Amino acid sequence: MLMAPAITLILGGSIVMAASLVLKSGTAQDVHGQRTGVAVVSLAILALAAILGTIRSVPADLGQGLFRFDGTALAAERLALLGGLILILMSWSTAPKANLGEYYGCLIIIIGGIPVVGASNDLVSLFLGLELISIPTYIMLGISKGDNAGSEATIKYFLLSAFASCFFLLGVSYLYGFVGSTNLQVIQSGYASGGRLVSFALAMVMCGLAFRITAVPFHFYAPDVFEGASLTMAAVMSYLPKVAGFVALIRVLGTGLGTEAVEVVVPVLFVCAALTMLVGNFMASAQSSLRRLLAYSSVAHTGYLLLALTALLRQNAEPNVLFSYLAAYAAMTLGFFACLGEIEAAGGKTQLVGDLSGMFYRRPAASIGLTVCLISLIGLPLTAGFWAKFLVFMGTVAAGTKDPWSIAMAVLMAFNAVIAAGYYWRVLSKLFERSDAYVPLRVFRPSLFVAYTICVVLTLVWFFVPAVM
Amino acid sequence: MTFIIPLLILTPLIVGLGIFLAGSKGNALVNTAIWAAALVLALSFLLVGHVYTSSAANDPANSSTIVPRMVYAPDWLQIHLPISVGGHKVHWQLQFGADGIGALLVLLTGIVGLATMSLATFQIKERLHQYLALMLITQSMLLGVFLSMDLLSFYLFFEAVLLPLVLLIHGWGDRAESLIASRKFLLFTLVGSVPMVLGLIGLALNSATPDRASTVSLQALSAIARETQLAAIGSAVNESVNAVDALAAKEQWIVWLLLLGFGIKLAILPLHTWLPTTYAVAHPNTTALIASVVAKLGVFGIIRIVIPLTPIALSTYAQMLFGGLGALAIVYGALVALSQTDLRRVLAYSSLSHVGFITLGLMAMNTEGLTGAAIQMFNHGIITCGMFLMLAMLEQRRGKISLAEQDRGLAAIYPRLGVMLVFFTLAGAGLPGLNGFVGEVLAMSGMIRVSGLFTGVAILGTVLGAWYGLRIVQRLLFGSDGNTRTKSTVGLTSDIGTKEFTPLVAMAAVCLLIGVRPQDTIRLVEKDVARIAIVSEPSAKAIHPEIDQRVAQIRP
Repeated sequence: MLMAPAITLILGGSIVMAASLVLKSGTAQDVHGQRTGVAVVSLAILALAAILGTIRSVPADLGQGLFRFDGTALAAERLALLGGLILILMSWSTAPKANLGEYYGCLIIIIGGIPVVGASNDLVSLFLGLELISIPTYIMLGISKGDNAGSEATIKYFLLSAFASCFFLLGVSYLYGFVGSTNLQVIQSGYASGGRLVSFALAMVMCGLAFRITAVPFHFYAPDVFEGASLTMAAVMSYLPKVAGFVALIRVLGTGLGTEAVEVVVPVLFVCAALTMLVGNFMASAQSSLRRLLAYSSVAHTGYLLLALTALLRQNAEPNVLFSYLAAYAAMTLGFFACLGEIEAAGGKTQLVGDLSGMFYRRPAASIGLTVCLISLIGLPLTAGFWAKFLVFMGTVAAGTKDPWSIAMAVLMAFNAVIAAGYYWRVLSKLFERSDAYVPLRVFRPSLFVAYTICVVLTLVWFFVPAVM
Repeated sequence: MTFIIPLLILTPLIVGLGIFLAGSKGNALVNTAIWAAALVLALSFLLVGHVYTSSAANDPANSSTIVPRMVYAPDWLQIHLPISVGGHKVHWQLQFGADGIGALLVLLTGIVGLATMSLATFQIKERLHQYLALMLITQSMLLGVFLSMDLLSFYLFFEAVLLPLVLLIHGWGDRAESLIASRKFLLFTLVGSVPMVLGLIGLALNSATPDRASTVSLQALSAIARETQLAAIGSAVNESVNAVDALAAKEQWIVWLLLLGFGIKLAILPLHTWLPTTYAVAHPNTTALIASVVAKLGVFGIIRIVIPLTPIALSTYAQMLFGGLGALAIVYGALVALSQTDLRRVLAYSSLSHVGFITLGLMAMNTEGLTGAAIQMFNHGIITCGMFLMLAMLEQRRGKISLAEQDRGLAAIYPRLGVMLVFFTLAGAGLPGLNGFVGEVLAMSGMIRVSGLFTGVAILGTVLGAWYGLRIVQRLLFGSDGNTRTKSTVGLTSDIGTKEFTPLVAMAAVCLLIGVRPQDTIRLVEKDVARIAIVSEPSAKAIHPEIDQRVAQIRP
């Protein structure tokens, strides 16, 4: 019964998808009613999963089986449910009319895939979980927007994602060949005696996962997909694969790496993190398209998260640091997308940074939401984003007494945060720009409003109680 | 009496947020904002009175070098972070408190806040209530910095000052340039302050040992710093110098990161370029607050954190460098001020020059220098605030003021303003009997024990300071009978009224009082300075043994 939430989600998603086949043939084409109906059912599935998650009791002995319910698994589940709640609320009024059932079904299955990845203690179940996330994503990308840009984004993502899965499988096969078991605990205990073969296998696995978390040099698809896909899909892409990828990285690398393995893996991650941060931030500052800016900003955040991962591997921090960052990231990024979604739903444009000009006077509530999320993305106090960065800094500096490189990395990250502040401020100042001709946007979408209100409130509240993040 | 501390921080914050959230209804709340500022001033007087009479710092058993006279540290101010350091979970107790130096700056914030806000009602024509709300929020954040007694809340407030300030610069500055200027201000400050947090984290992590959890309390950290330093210098005397060097090398990166952050805030020379742009673009009323209080954050950070917590590393690596940069800033600022004609820029560079004296006093790292720096922080704040407020009044009457022909001979039409301008210029130039003199002389007499060269340069700077001060007075007030003025005087043409005159007179009275009777102010800070000097003076001597030798040679 430990897997109950994940099973509920995956089963529920399948039922929604199957039900849509039956319902679609009906004559009643009440689009509005269908929208509300499917969204409410999806929320109910999510709620059921959450309830099942709270009432189960986790045994003290975690065992060696396919799945293992340690802190990582529980945190991944919470992150998935949090993201799922906001994404379903966002989809309420933005999901494609013609394929409501398929859309929500896929979304719920993706959300259900993350706990599977989080809990898996075996390469097979890990891969299963990852594909449970990838395959529905292709479908969602395909059905959510029908124009050329949307199709291009879909094909691009599909091909590259399949490619990344191949890398992952290649690495996995070597790991299996070397250790003779697919159990991750057995494999991890074999790292110490590994040598080059294991390093190669780990490198392949990391390449495969780097694609999911949009780490440089596997980030090329992100800007195109963010630009081509619908806004809600961009939100999905910015969050769910990233959570899955990082959880999988924690699972594969483990926290019990030997000293020698750490000495190999950490420099690789340092280089990767540095490149990811720099490329993400510099490219983002050069963008005039808001979507591409957000894509590169998501790349940059991956860089910070990779730094947190190194702190984790060297046992200078607990996995909580990474999960706190992801939670804060969920609140600020998904909140940002939800605000943009409300502006779009009300008839405004959000493709370019310039489209937001004077938005504060056209749509005050959403603009205030955007402002809070941007302040959090910059990492200033009074928002959760501050603690997110602060904890990464702490984890990295804690290693600094033995290793001056980590201090250098922390300083690099600090300067990157400043570069990021430059382009976030560009967006922020656009919101408050005064122009003579502006038309108020008056259409109100309760679901989107609720979505970003949740995000904004969480962003602000988590600042005061960082321990529950 | 500890209730003063939360009251001081929360009153302006709540009133400011309330007015901001009231939207267009906030127009009716302008008077409330002024009353809130007045309440803050009254509370800060109470605080100063309490700190002045308290004897908490006299306890010789207390080995901390930072001793607050009153502490506010309730249980709910504990921060639990999901991370552990050295095997201990992180539970940091935040605390607020006031020592003499902090109380002096709280008083400065109170005075400047009330003066700028009450005069803003004359100056600011659009969205006045929002302006006042942001000023109040800024004031609250500043008070938070000056009253914080741990690294974390210090940093939180230090960073949080940025937000309302950027909005103030952006929203009420010159239309054309305010976006660029506010962005420059934001980025420059962040370039310093984001890496600075690493230094603060380093300080907190260094305090953790296997049997002691990490702490952020300044009191505890300063006691630890004192022990470590005693041990290092003690073993240096017995064996070799290596222990001192090792300690300095260990703390090197922390000191550099901290100095980068504080150096940008105090506009130390190569990092000063944000300052003229910001001062020239922001509304002079906003600039009065920035120049007088916000620019002090950097100085305050050095005297509160860098000197007590990392004295050895500071004197090894940065004492002479920063001292030299301070001396250079005095001369450089004065020379640039001499060559500018835009009055905003003249005042911006003169402010840069005066902050150089404070840096000089700090980097002397001895009792005289630190006392001078602490007092000069207050004095410079009052004087600069007065100057920029008068600039705002002049601009309201005549548009942009330049020292060229069309703005000469103003004494004839604005006699009251003329008198105050002469008074504050003389105070700024360091005329004996006014407050500027006290701080500058103390700072220089501290520095002369460290470096004769830097002191000589600084003395040259005082001459230049008098020169550009008198140039302002001569060009602006006199130099013409007023008949050749070609600029049209639209809007207000009359001299300032009583309501505008009163705050200036009050600030002038403070200048005169401190100039004639400096001993009260010195008594307020002397115990704190003496405690800091316990660690800073020996470390400076341990690193630079030649200090004081020059003075010994001069003395018979």
